[in-house]
Amino acid sequence: MRCTVHKADIRESIVRYRPLSRNVLSPAAADGIIWPVEGTRMPSYAVRVGAWWAACRRRLALGAALLMLLAIVGAPPRPFVALGPQQEVRTTNDKIGVHTRLTDEVEPWKIQRTLQMVREMGASWIVEYFPWAYSEPRPGRYDWAHADWVVEHARRQGLTVVARLGFVPEWARPKDTTETYLEEARFPDFARFVGQFVRHFRGRVSYIIIWNEPNLSLEWGYRPVDPEAYVRLLRLAYQAAKEADPDVRVLAGALAPTLAPPGSAEGMDDLIYLQRMYDAGAREFFDLLAVHAYGWSFSPDEPAAPDVINYARAELARAVMVRNGDADKLAMITEGGWNDHPRWTKAVRPAERIAYTIRAYEKAAQEWPWCQAVVLWAFRFPWATRTYQDYFTFVAVDFTPKPIYLEVQRYALGR
Amino acid sequence: MLRKRWQQALGLALLAALLAAAGYTLWQRGRRPDDLWARVQRSGVWRVGLDPSFPPFESLDEAGQIVGYDVDLARAIAARWGVTVMFHSIAFDSLLEAVRAGQVDAAISALSVEPRRARDVAYSAPYFEAGLMLVVRADGKEEIRQVADLAGKRLAVEWGSAGDVEGRALGRRLANLTLLSFARPDEALQAVAEGRADAALVDGVSAWQFAGREAGVRLLGGAVVSDPYVIVLPIGSPGLLRAVNEALAELQADGTLAALRRKWFGPHAD
Repeated sequence: MRCTVHKADIRESIVRYRPLSRNVLSPAAADGIIWPVEGTRMPSYAVRVGAWWAACRRRLALGAALLMLLAIVGAPPRPFVALGPQQEVRTTNDKIGVHTRLTDEVEPWKIQRTLQMVREMGASWIVEYFPWAYSEPRPGRYDWAHADWVVEHARRQGLTVVARLGFVPEWARPKDTTETYLEEARFPDFARFVGQFVRHFRGRVSYIIIWNEPNLSLEWGYRPVDPEAYVRLLRLAYQAAKEADPDVRVLAGALAPTLAPPGSAEGMDDLIYLQRMYDAGAREFFDLLAVHAYGWSFSPDEPAAPDVINYARAELARAVMVRNGDADKLAMITEGGWNDHPRWTKAVRPAERIAYTIRAYEKAAQEWPWCQAVVLWAFRFPWATRTYQDYFTFVAVDFTPKPIYLEVQRYALGR
Repeated sequence: MLRKRWQQALGLALLAALLAAAGYTLWQRGRRPDDLWARVQRSGVWRVGLDPSFPPFESLDEAGQIVGYDVDLARAIAARWGVTVMFHSIAFDSLLEAVRAGQVDAAISALSVEPRRARDVAYSAPYFEAGLMLVVRADGKEEIRQVADLAGKRLAVEWGSAGDVEGRALGRRLANLTLLSFARPDEALQAVAEGRADAALVDGVSAWQFAGREAGVRLLGGAVVSDPYVIVLPIGSPGLLRAVNEALAELQADGTLAALRRKWFGPHAD
């Protein structure tokens, strides 16, 4: 930018920038042009810059203001996706559900599209993860924006949301611990968050799951699992939830099916853990039992056995409930299903996965009156994981429905 | 004046330090890959990772030895270099990380190219086409030579597979294409052999396994959807990558790859 430099600018520059310059200009220096004056040294670079700034700053300020205005006016608008008309799920099996994974899906249109496809598949239920750390990034400061998007779009599609709560924020755990590490002193913080969540979503979210797979060490902060401590956490969370909304349904457990031997560092057998929960008084502090039911390489009709992980293991969890006086409570399968990766040792062929999945939904509808819903893992991921996990999904990352989606849809719509 | 000279000297010193650091980093990067190929040659051992759970590419025989197409391929490459292969059994999902971490010099385990991982590892030229292949009867009575010829035909697929996905897409494009679903790929291929279907669209491994045994079917040309197997190598190992690619080209040219296919997929796998 060329600006006319006047004597006053030079003087001002010298005054302003004298500490940067040892040169002195004769005030007789040029009208508009800095020339060396005989007897003086060349102006230093700092003086030149200073003089230029003095001359041009008004124009620069005006230019900056114009640029800011252009940036504001020209910036892309905040994403807005209309909710659309209220929808209803059409299905012949109202227990069909899928675990969505919208936690890290930032684009509203993808959230809507996902939930629309869930409805169109004939599923009425979703389990979705609402990380504590995302909604309460600082103590007492809540950000419900993303969670609101998910819930509102789900409700508009006629879906029932089951909210899984967990994921400890950094401020609530020691440095260098994982997001599943929650020490007992912080149980009230988590309970407070649960209460706030329930209060915020009162009338919109009626089911919450407290924690996830606490019978695995990696889900318990890589510490030895502790059913009694989990029950203490559950009690506080339950009380906070009920205080916020007496009608909210609290799900407990969500235990990982595992045959971990006694004393294993990896975790605890889910059936043993569940009994210890009851022994610690859990019965009063949940309304439904969340069950994880993975079929691995077995058909859903493979009989249950304590030393086998299969879909029917859910019946054994139910038996523990009944033994402990909870026959009148329902259970819900909140995670489970089959995988058709070509190399994974626990996978089945694609055709088997389709047949087993449909049979699993059918079995719950026809043979398990105690099972309120079967919510299988996982509907779609926001990005490809490039591992066997991708072969759990019903829909590809680009929203292409996989054959399993189309076949479950055909079954759900009674075609 | 003195201050100005100090400033200039400091600036030059900083610049020199930056250039030296950049040069050292580049030299280190350049140094490592040469070291790897040189080390393989010097030590006479090439460490190869694989997951022996995927016959006929890699599995354990009755004596507990690792055998398969990839095993023979690794040995054939090593023989050209005059080195021996040391196999490391690694879980499939951990193979790329094992290469990245330097636990092995390569992974040869029926691995496909993952474009997102091209920043982390290097991929060799393809050595086996495992993508979707169109299979027809060997006598060619249906006159199917390409995908477009499937209009009005019966196409067999494995229900729920990638072939099923592609078949449904073709059904939307081609007039009167009938999709026949089967529980397993060999059932779809059997339908072609018996004339109950005009063609099958299945993965390359299943196609070769069936065609290698049964003389009555043949694979049509290139893949409908390509998904070749490649050898995974450390990124920035140009010497080793070059050596692997040269070896693969030679093995292709001298018929070794075709011979391996016949050995592991059947006498008709040509």
